[in-house]
Amino acid sequence: MLFSSLTFLYYFLPATLALYFIVPARGSLAPRNLALLAASVVFYAWGEPVYVLLMAGQALAGWFYGLLIERFRGRPALSRAALLASLATGLGGLLFFKYSDFFLSNLATALGTRLPTLGLALPIGISFYTFQILSYTIDLYRGDTRVQRDPLKFSAYVMLFPQLIAGPIVRYADVAESLAARSTTLRGFAEGARRFTQGLAKKVLLANVLGELAGICGGGDENSALMAWLYALAYTLHIYFDFSGYSDMAIGLGRIFGFNFPENFNYPYISRSATEFWRRWHMSLSSWFRDYVYIPLGGNRVRPARQALNISVVWLLTGFWHGAGWNFICWGLYFAALLLVEKFWLGGLLARAPGIIAHAYLLLLVAVGWVIFDAAALEPALGVIGRMFGLGASGLAGAESLYYLRSYMTPLAVGVLGATPLPKALAARAAACRQGKGALAVLEPAAVLVMLVCVTAFLADGSFNPFIYFRF
Amino acid sequence: MNNDDNLKNKFIIAAFLAVLGGFALLNRLVAPPEISMSERRHLATMPAFSAASVSSGRFMKDFENFAADSFVFRDNLRAAHTAFILGVYLQSDKSGLYVGRFGAGKLEKIDETSVRQAAAKILKLASSIDDARLYYSFIPDKNVYAGRYMPGFDVERARLLLGDALAADPRLTYVDVAGALSAADFYRTDLHWSQPRLGGVVSALGAGMGFRGGLEGFTEEPVGLFQGVYSGQLALPLKPDLMSVMTDGPLHNATASYLDPQSQTFVPGDIYDFAAVSGRDPYDVFLKGVQPLIILENPDAPAERELYLFRDSFGSSLAPLLLAAYSKVVLIDLRYIDSRLLAEHAAISPGADVLFLYSSQILNSASVLLAG
Repeated sequence: MLFSSLTFLYYFLPATLALYFIVPARGSLAPRNLALLAASVVFYAWGEPVYVLLMAGQALAGWFYGLLIERFRGRPALSRAALLASLATGLGGLLFFKYSDFFLSNLATALGTRLPTLGLALPIGISFYTFQILSYTIDLYRGDTRVQRDPLKFSAYVMLFPQLIAGPIVRYADVAESLAARSTTLRGFAEGARRFTQGLAKKVLLANVLGELAGICGGGDENSALMAWLYALAYTLHIYFDFSGYSDMAIGLGRIFGFNFPENFNYPYISRSATEFWRRWHMSLSSWFRDYVYIPLGGNRVRPARQALNISVVWLLTGFWHGAGWNFICWGLYFAALLLVEKFWLGGLLARAPGIIAHAYLLLLVAVGWVIFDAAALEPALGVIGRMFGLGASGLAGAESLYYLRSYMTPLAVGVLGATPLPKALAARAAACRQGKGALAVLEPAAVLVMLVCVTAFLADGSFNPFIYFRF
Repeated sequence: MNNDDNLKNKFIIAAFLAVLGGFALLNRLVAPPEISMSERRHLATMPAFSAASVSSGRFMKDFENFAADSFVFRDNLRAAHTAFILGVYLQSDKSGLYVGRFGAGKLEKIDETSVRQAAAKILKLASSIDDARLYYSFIPDKNVYAGRYMPGFDVERARLLLGDALAADPRLTYVDVAGALSAADFYRTDLHWSQPRLGGVVSALGAGMGFRGGLEGFTEEPVGLFQGVYSGQLALPLKPDLMSVMTDGPLHNATASYLDPQSQTFVPGDIYDFAAVSGRDPYDVFLKGVQPLIILENPDAPAERELYLFRDSFGSSLAPLLLAAYSKVVLIDLRYIDSRLLAEHAAISPGADVLFLYSSQILNSASVLLAG
């Protein structure tokens, strides 16, 4: 089920809120956890009526391996074996369902033969919930978190619908306390409602509109440089508002139910380098790879050559995590190359360069990266990138690209401004004075109301509404 | 947290729950309509719940459609969406639909593959006709004349593609009607042309096909206000068109008979179905809308002359005007009848005229033509 759907907003969410707040919370949170778990099962089964069993199985396996790790805590070999079994179960499921056809088709190409593919549908959110389960067993093995003996609480953590299918990747340690004791407050509900609405508006009112432009420009007949740039710009903004909007919705829903999920985005497009960009973009994923792959490989405390290898491995995996395609692998390696160049050469120069140069450098390279990311194969991506710089372009601009530039000028401008901290800074400045605070007390609720009605209007009209990160 | 924050938080929660709860409640209390008049379609109904439909995911998919179609105040919300896109975002169009000086229109580019496919089908049909004068033409979209910044359906390119493909049968002669049209000849709220504005088109066809054409003798009769298909798709309350039909004169004694798909016989009927003006699609006033095969006859025609018109909905409003020159006009809509059935119901008479006349919409979706 999509957050940005009428079914979620006007059937599932009101019913879930009613159920959750009707269930008594005094004494034990078990009834409320059960209510959340039941709602989460319905939420996931709505899109995956069969694979819900796979997810439940993976959750129970994670819980069971956790018990084993804890039981064998004094016996390292057995404890390690339980951890390895957990890794094999989680990653095995991920590899089988997400990557088997990729490996089979590439093997067939390499051998010059034909191999039957499995044709499995990708279970929604498998990359996210697998990483969440693994964060638990690894942390438990390391002694960084405590064992969860209650399968209900552990399943509620894995299957918690706000962050289930597109993150943020919430580690068990982040919510362990909340599963046992949390409170829902007026302030928490209000902040959650505001954050959810903000994310919903980012997704429906902005990301979808920009995604439409990206679709038009990416699939158009005109091969001008302007068309290629429009596509790159629209997709760059689209993916940011799409994904960060979803994260906002997840974090907001979490707040409503009393959880505090980690932030996932921090204005990534204001970065001055690729290194900084990855500290601001999909932070829960990059920190996952840092803590569970990069640091165990030796991190920064190794020789430069080994460090370069570690970075390459991490970014190869990061790219591959996003999808079973060569474009994702190339995209990951592209960022590995950028990070290495910055680490060993360009980083210092960028730090000293005028802000505008560093920002332009980052935005250009990120936009090029998204072209690779969004391409069905490497060849069309190179074609678009070439046209952006005049290679193979039919000209600077054509009638069609000029039409769409003019037509989408406002959403593009709103997108560019919205990707900066400016709106937040203005609101903070207004809140700093008494008159501004009074105005915000009226304007914020009014904005929530207007945004929800506008989103409903867009959805009721059946407008363009895909969601990129579902495929991961 | 001070009192201001507390109050603000209460207002935010109230707004959030009012919209979510309010719409959720209204959706359960208000019975949804079965038909959307503005979109001219049946709306999705609540799907049947069963283990099989749930496990296959069909129930969920159908429920999503039902939730969207049955949403309370749906037409108002659709209008708000359009207003946001065109009025707040200032976009030039909404999914290709726009409102301009000549009313509403839709951006449409030429689909060359489809145009070639249409030409191949015309060629195949022509090869099955022995003794007849063969003509072809096409009707450009209103967008071509409305002067949008966006390149529309490329008339010259379509003419070239059709000309190249149809040159294989030298009997096929091109008759240009594109030059006889302007944006004002189309309804402001619909894709179709307005019948009283077709004098130029009839003259152009007459010049190319050898008859004296025009609107002499006809009387323009207003039949009602008309909100066209673009108006419905945009969900905007556009100023309606005044729909008129051309009556009297050559139509005084003219008759129409329609192929009944059930009995496979021709049933007499009116040329203009005035009851359709208040129906789902008022344009059905012309020859009852969707019809596979129609025979129009005019005993007062100046000469015994037959025309076989392979057409789409544009032909419905044009054909009555051609009765000034033809004693018999047979309208064939290949979207609803396979050309292999024509010999059985309407074999082409020797010496007749045959005109293939399609709008750009059909040329761009030629797969719908059942040409054998």
